[in-house]
Amino acid sequence: MGQLVADKHVRYILMAEKKKESFESVVMDHLRMNGAYWGLTTLDLLDKLGCVSEDEVVSWLMTCQHESGGFAGNTGHDPHILYTLSAVQILALFDKINILDIGKVSSYVAKLQNEDGSFSGDMWGEIDTRFSYIAICCLSILKCLDKINVEKAVEYIVSCKNLDGGFGCTPGAESHAGQIFCCVGALAITGSLHHVDKDLLGWWLCERQLKGGGLNGRPEKLADVCYSWWVLSSLIMIDRVHWIDKAKLVKFILDCQDLENGGISDRPDDAVDIFHTYFGVAGLSLLEYPGVKVIDPAYALPVDVVNRIIFTK
Amino acid sequence: MRQGSCSEEGCFTLLKLFEHVLESDPLIDEVGFIHPSQFNMLDEEAGSSSVYQNEHQPNNETSRKFWNQDHKLGISTDILVQLCKDAKHVFLLAFEEYKRHGNACNESQIENFSCSPGTPEIEVMRHSQAVLLLSSDFGTAWNARKLILSKKDQLSAFTEELRLAGLILSNSPKSESTWSHRRWIIKMISQRFSTPQVIITKESELVESIGERSKMNYRAWYHRCWLVSYMAIEQVIQELNKSKRWAGLHVADSSCFHYRRRLMLKILESLYVKGGNAYDKSEARKIWKEELDWNKELVERYVGREALWLHRRFLSLNWIIYFACNDSDVSPEPGESIIMNEEIAIFIDNEIHLLESSMIVPDTKFEDFQAQALHAGVYMLWLTKKMPELWRMVEEKLGTEKVKCVLSTIAQERPSLLHHLVNV
Repeated sequence: MGQLVADKHVRYILMAEKKKESFESVVMDHLRMNGAYWGLTTLDLLDKLGCVSEDEVVSWLMTCQHESGGFAGNTGHDPHILYTLSAVQILALFDKINILDIGKVSSYVAKLQNEDGSFSGDMWGEIDTRFSYIAICCLSILKCLDKINVEKAVEYIVSCKNLDGGFGCTPGAESHAGQIFCCVGALAITGSLHHVDKDLLGWWLCERQLKGGGLNGRPEKLADVCYSWWVLSSLIMIDRVHWIDKAKLVKFILDCQDLENGGISDRPDDAVDIFHTYFGVAGLSLLEYPGVKVIDPAYALPVDVVNRIIFTK
Repeated sequence: MRQGSCSEEGCFTLLKLFEHVLESDPLIDEVGFIHPSQFNMLDEEAGSSSVYQNEHQPNNETSRKFWNQDHKLGISTDILVQLCKDAKHVFLLAFEEYKRHGNACNESQIENFSCSPGTPEIEVMRHSQAVLLLSSDFGTAWNARKLILSKKDQLSAFTEELRLAGLILSNSPKSESTWSHRRWIIKMISQRFSTPQVIITKESELVESIGERSKMNYRAWYHRCWLVSYMAIEQVIQELNKSKRWAGLHVADSSCFHYRRRLMLKILESLYVKGGNAYDKSEARKIWKEELDWNKELVERYVGREALWLHRRFLSLNWIIYFACNDSDVSPEPGESIIMNEEIAIFIDNEIHLLESSMIVPDTKFEDFQAQALHAGVYMLWLTKKMPELWRMVEEKLGTEKVKCVLSTIAQERPSLLHHLVNV
């Protein structure tokens, strides 16, 4: 079995930021904040966060903040809760949360809560359990969970539970591993995991493992490295990770590496990208792969970063 | 204009040309990115040359940028990067200008690079359209359009926007922002006008046609599930009938079966509405029975399909809870224990037969048969978890040998799961 080519992945991430001439990178620049979070968290998991200029990242990041307190995906764009969490997570990695006007950021997030407990992604009102997770994770990092109605938020998430034990984006929507991570993560952070039927959900999640060892996100789909994160973190949070074959999954992720130029792809022999590089390394972290820092399955940040937040006043 | 790596005029000529193409054919219904080598092939297929050229250049290979015929638009992959960068740049400037001046007719900054200079509003609409056709998840461009549209009071402005979103989906069928924008438009229409059933029907048809080209598209099918909340019970039944043929032809598309589950749950909900409007339970029972029978046919015809077996878990469990067990007018509580009765016994008996026939693997070379045996075994075990006394029936009917066989099939694929279940 191959090994994790950590140095090459580090170089790939550092280079990716400089290559801006492909169509893929042009159509991605509206979510540069997410990209920065994926890249920087990967670097931190590989203990190489020191390779980037903190000042440069932080000063760009702050140009993305709006009057409302929310962050945009890039300078000059509109704010959205998706990018607000990434911005807060990046600052957490650098231990720079204190430069934020926490009252302002948390108000932006709290104002997006609706009457029924759900959250909108921005002022235009699309509702999704992803936004519930983001709001709860973000406010928990900022220690402002008291600004929202947590009970109602939990109630809404529980209303999105399906008969198969999984969760969708709104009540009645199809179960999807990504949405399940969000719902389980939000319930974990708020201490509400008793609402999850762990055996039933664990069943659905472990059925995501295919013969080749990789995980898919929904029935009948192909395996994809990103689900190494969504499915695995959910299984860990509900204490059912021993229901899948971990060794086979490690092999699947390692087989998705570009051994020459670094980076990880969705499945073996496909083109690599930063998104899958992050999820591959994060997946390996959950699988306790040597040389990778331990990541927290709910906050999606290295455990030392989460501890620093929790143990600081 | 300060920025731009190439000469400004050169850059924006491309964008102007693109916007000109869009404006001169408002009926374009499909767009795609094509490699320059495909231009000739498309011409031959179409039987004539209809290529948009840069107006200032002669008609030769290198100048080919857009292909437009029969309301289909192809954009050369050679120009995508430049075009996309320019469109974004110009859009963001126009949007800044719009926000600064609202609807006032200030054209100072943008008149240099528009086809024909208009109000800031027109400029924003024009350039955001160009951006979104190239980069469909560019949220700020959708937001700008929402901002402008929310000030409109003609229905046509919104239906026209549905057309644009449909055009974008023809090239980016998974674009989440585009689907979300459609929902926003429909919400606006229903708030300001009414929700014409015809719009909901058309939306539903759109998902099906996109589902045809983009398989197992979560975002598209989610959109269809979302529409259900706007449907009256008659339309729910109609949709259930209409989506049946498609589902039968796409038995691996779990999302389509989830859509049917959503519709069927809506029928269950309507059984217990108060005030004499409740849906007739015998009708619902008939629908459920039909779906179970049809699912069995599919399971037997298309061997080893996970989506079909998962659909059966849903159908069987609800059949037992709502129809075999419960005859009262009150909705059963979730988690309420299931008490075995004769009807359930007959039902389970049939399911055991199905399991037995699914266990026969005539040829081990075909993975499908092995998958069928696994799915059937796991299906039965899943029902058992909901109704523990069911396992005793399975053991009685199948006999020790066959039960062992079921368990060993599962043990091969999901050892830890089985270990847990057997030890509980």
